[in-house]
Amino acid sequence: MTQPSAAGSDRATGTVLDEIIAGVREDLEARKTLLPLEEVKAAAKAAEPPRDAVAALRGPHADSLEVIAEVKRSSPSKGALAPITDPALLASAYERGGAAVISVLTEARRFNGSLADLDAVRTAVDIPVLRKDFTVDEYQIWEARAHGADLVLLIVAALDDATLAGFLDLTRSLGMEALVETHTTEEIERARRVGARIVGVNTRNLKTLEVDPDLFGRLAEHLPEDAVLVAESGVTDAEHVELYAGHGADAVLTGEALVRAGDPLGTVATFRTVGASARAARRAASQGDGVSGRLSEAPGPYYGDFGGRWMPESLIAALDQVEETFEKAKADEDFLEEFRRLSRDYANRPSLLTEAERFSREIGCRVLLKREDLNHTGSHKINNVLGQALLAKRMGKNRLIAETGAGQHGVATATAAALMGMECVVYMGAEDTERQALNVARMQLLGASVVAVENGSRTLKDAINEALRDWVASVDTTHYLLGTAAGPHPFPAMVRWFHQQIGDEARAQTLSRLGRLPDAVSACVGGGSNAIGIFHGFLDDPDVELWGFEAGGDGIDTPRHAATISLGRPGVLHGAKTFLMQDEDGQTIESHSISAGLDYPAVGPEHAYLSAIGRARYEAVTDTEAMDAFRLLCRTEGIIPAIESSHALAGAVKLGQRWVGELGPDAAADKVVVVSLSGRGDKDVATAAKWFGLVPEEHDEIDEESR
Amino acid sequence: MTMAEPKDLAARLLPPEVLEPRQSRLAQRIEQCRAEGRPALVGYLPAGYPTLPESIEAAVALGNNGADIIEIGIPYSDPVMDGAVIQHATTTALANGFRVAQVFEVIEAISTRTNAVPVVMSYWNPIMQRGVDRFARELAAAGGAGIITPDLIPDEADEWFKASLAHGLDRIFLVAPSSTRERMDLTVKASSGFVYAVSIMGVTGARDAVSNAASSVVERARAAGARNICVGLGVSTRQHVEEIGAYADGVIVGTALVRALGEGGPAAVGALTAQLAGRK
Repeated sequence: MTQPSAAGSDRATGTVLDEIIAGVREDLEARKTLLPLEEVKAAAKAAEPPRDAVAALRGPHADSLEVIAEVKRSSPSKGALAPITDPALLASAYERGGAAVISVLTEARRFNGSLADLDAVRTAVDIPVLRKDFTVDEYQIWEARAHGADLVLLIVAALDDATLAGFLDLTRSLGMEALVETHTTEEIERARRVGARIVGVNTRNLKTLEVDPDLFGRLAEHLPEDAVLVAESGVTDAEHVELYAGHGADAVLTGEALVRAGDPLGTVATFRTVGASARAARRAASQGDGVSGRLSEAPGPYYGDFGGRWMPESLIAALDQVEETFEKAKADEDFLEEFRRLSRDYANRPSLLTEAERFSREIGCRVLLKREDLNHTGSHKINNVLGQALLAKRMGKNRLIAETGAGQHGVATATAAALMGMECVVYMGAEDTERQALNVARMQLLGASVVAVENGSRTLKDAINEALRDWVASVDTTHYLLGTAAGPHPFPAMVRWFHQQIGDEARAQTLSRLGRLPDAVSACVGGGSNAIGIFHGFLDDPDVELWGFEAGGDGIDTPRHAATISLGRPGVLHGAKTFLMQDEDGQTIESHSISAGLDYPAVGPEHAYLSAIGRARYEAVTDTEAMDAFRLLCRTEGIIPAIESSHALAGAVKLGQRWVGELGPDAAADKVVVVSLSGRGDKDVATAAKWFGLVPEEHDEIDEESR
Repeated sequence: MTMAEPKDLAARLLPPEVLEPRQSRLAQRIEQCRAEGRPALVGYLPAGYPTLPESIEAAVALGNNGADIIEIGIPYSDPVMDGAVIQHATTTALANGFRVAQVFEVIEAISTRTNAVPVVMSYWNPIMQRGVDRFARELAAAGGAGIITPDLIPDEADEWFKASLAHGLDRIFLVAPSSTRERMDLTVKASSGFVYAVSIMGVTGARDAVSNAASSVVERARAAGARNICVGLGVSTRQHVEEIGAYADGVIVGTALVRALGEGGPAAVGALTAQLAGRK
């Protein structure tokens, strides 16, 4: 065995490596002449302390898949890649997108890299940096540290055991860690023997330069379990990430895919999402609980830590009955046919997908509107109501009770009750009966009784409390037709199921219209039923960004808002564990929004979960932003949206701004967002007229009339 | 993969330690009443109503006029199991600035100034937000014997099982006329001290007649193995206490006491308690 030496000892590999390393050595000798090792050592000791790359690559959660994002100008296999004019800018974008580590190629001859690139990146980011080079000499390790690197690359194939061990010792003595790269089971064994903590599998064959994406899976069982496992090469799209993560990769190293896509930030985020789903599915499979890894098939009662049944025992038997009836109905062709028939012939499904051309031009990206406002009763609410009313009939219950905020769900429930000849009582916060007087009249015209709830904050949450009090005393004859994808199991799963046609239709319509999926989907979130319905169609399409927009009221820096996910904490309310707006004592804080339908201090538990795992993102939209988007849609498209849906439109405006900023106006104009236009705005005319000053303040006639 | 033995709910959900018999002040007190040939009188009042000092005096009056066990409710913003009278009282307490930690002052006063055994009754979120273990530790330190949990079922109670075992507190879950046999079995096994039998499908509030569902719930809880069963919801008079006392081990009065406190202060609570206890 060769003794380790400062110069290292190369192993002839009979591959492209030999030639590359010969070049590396020549360049190295030149640098050594210019800057003696002693000076490099001094610079290394003066450098800022190294960062913990192992922790960064393990990520925050057992299911996390982390990305080593590479700054690489060209490669021997592909030649020159997309020109990188500013490595620092690119690295910053990677970091913002959620990369755990930045890798910088410093090899000059084949990869066109340099230590100057490393310096530029080091200055630009706060995360660990890998100096990626062909390490054959201790000088390079000192050099890496002197330039602020936290990680170096050690290629097992190029080093004998003693040199590999010596290099690893030196790396660690300088506070850094090494990515120990392997290609075969034999190399993995050698990496294990020297105690590598980060083991990479390079799926590129050194002889043929071909990538074999299945190599990682074949080698997986030999990889040391306690090391961080990194898949390298061939990480060109989300499918590869899914493959590697499914075989247990903790991280992937990728460069070309990120640079080529033109959207480095979005691609890193996509890779992390796909990888986390694949790792979660793998973990579930290994635990043998038989749960499908597909987010769209999440059955409840729990969504991660959220959901469940935090309910009085008195109601558990009724919830069991609803669950059992629902599960049977889903498998009953007669029920499905009846639901489809009503959806089609009564509710006007499928709803249209309208391209909003003039609106799109104003906001800089392409907007498709999913027109739930065209359903019978004017919103998505009818989907869920028809389904649950059919279930109530099956349970032999002839009385429906419901809560309502904006009145849309109350109107829909009153409609279904009239259609099916059932009794209907709608609970509505007293403040909302004032804001939405027209909808109160509509419910009464349809034969429902409307109870104005004077307790608490006199809004939606108090209406739910009162409906629950009714239900506990009337459960033998009454079905509580909960209007959103919240509450105790099975409501979140069941309400989603009745609404998932929104997303299924939107996905198919977008594919047939554009031949591709949208880049993003935007929906407003109060309890979150239209959002979960439209998200559902895209949950397992990792390239589609899902955005929920909550009611920011006067602004999330004020106390008057309903931004539950953005600012809330986990707790239990109305039967589910989810994000809540609450004080230190767990008392619910009253929410505020110009939109009665979003004025709710909790949110459906599945949204809480999608937020926690990063699959969907939630942001607040203020009253002002929502009303600006409301007016813009009225003026550019001749559509008056519900104020609830205007939050989703305002979200699209934000996405447009982001894309224009990041990609430039031309690329942004090709980006597509599907907006859930969940309801029409007729009910909101009084509120909007007041907001825009269309009625004189002192003679507030519309408001008078509504009292 | 082999098929697992089908297990009932209790076997699937309950940690084995929960099933072990334990020393319980609540159970001892009920045994003592049984030995005296009478049902335990359980009284409910919310902490902080109408003010903290008055709620303490009212609870002490309750304990010194014949209540064996006292439930102190934590006022909560969304009390879905409560009728108008208790809603009004707890809303008033919150409006007067009630904070959750003040419940321990009331518990401590009962524990030091009366012979009654104090427990807390609370919706779950306030306890979850304080930290289940922390709340349990603080309650035990103040002299509390357990917690009645109207919206926590054993299916969601993992944390509470751990905390109650760690701090020696009783778990009083509710059973209802609608509880299935399997759930009755689960809830009875998960409970300690006593089982709270809901007499009626409905929310709290005084009623003229106690539902005849009550005796059937008690019978079914007994069949599931419950030793001590107290009946609540709708109980407001000495006559109800006697009727229910004929088949249950304890009788729970809430709304009538809260109304008395609102109308006549702590003295009225004392007077009504004495009446309910058959002392005058």
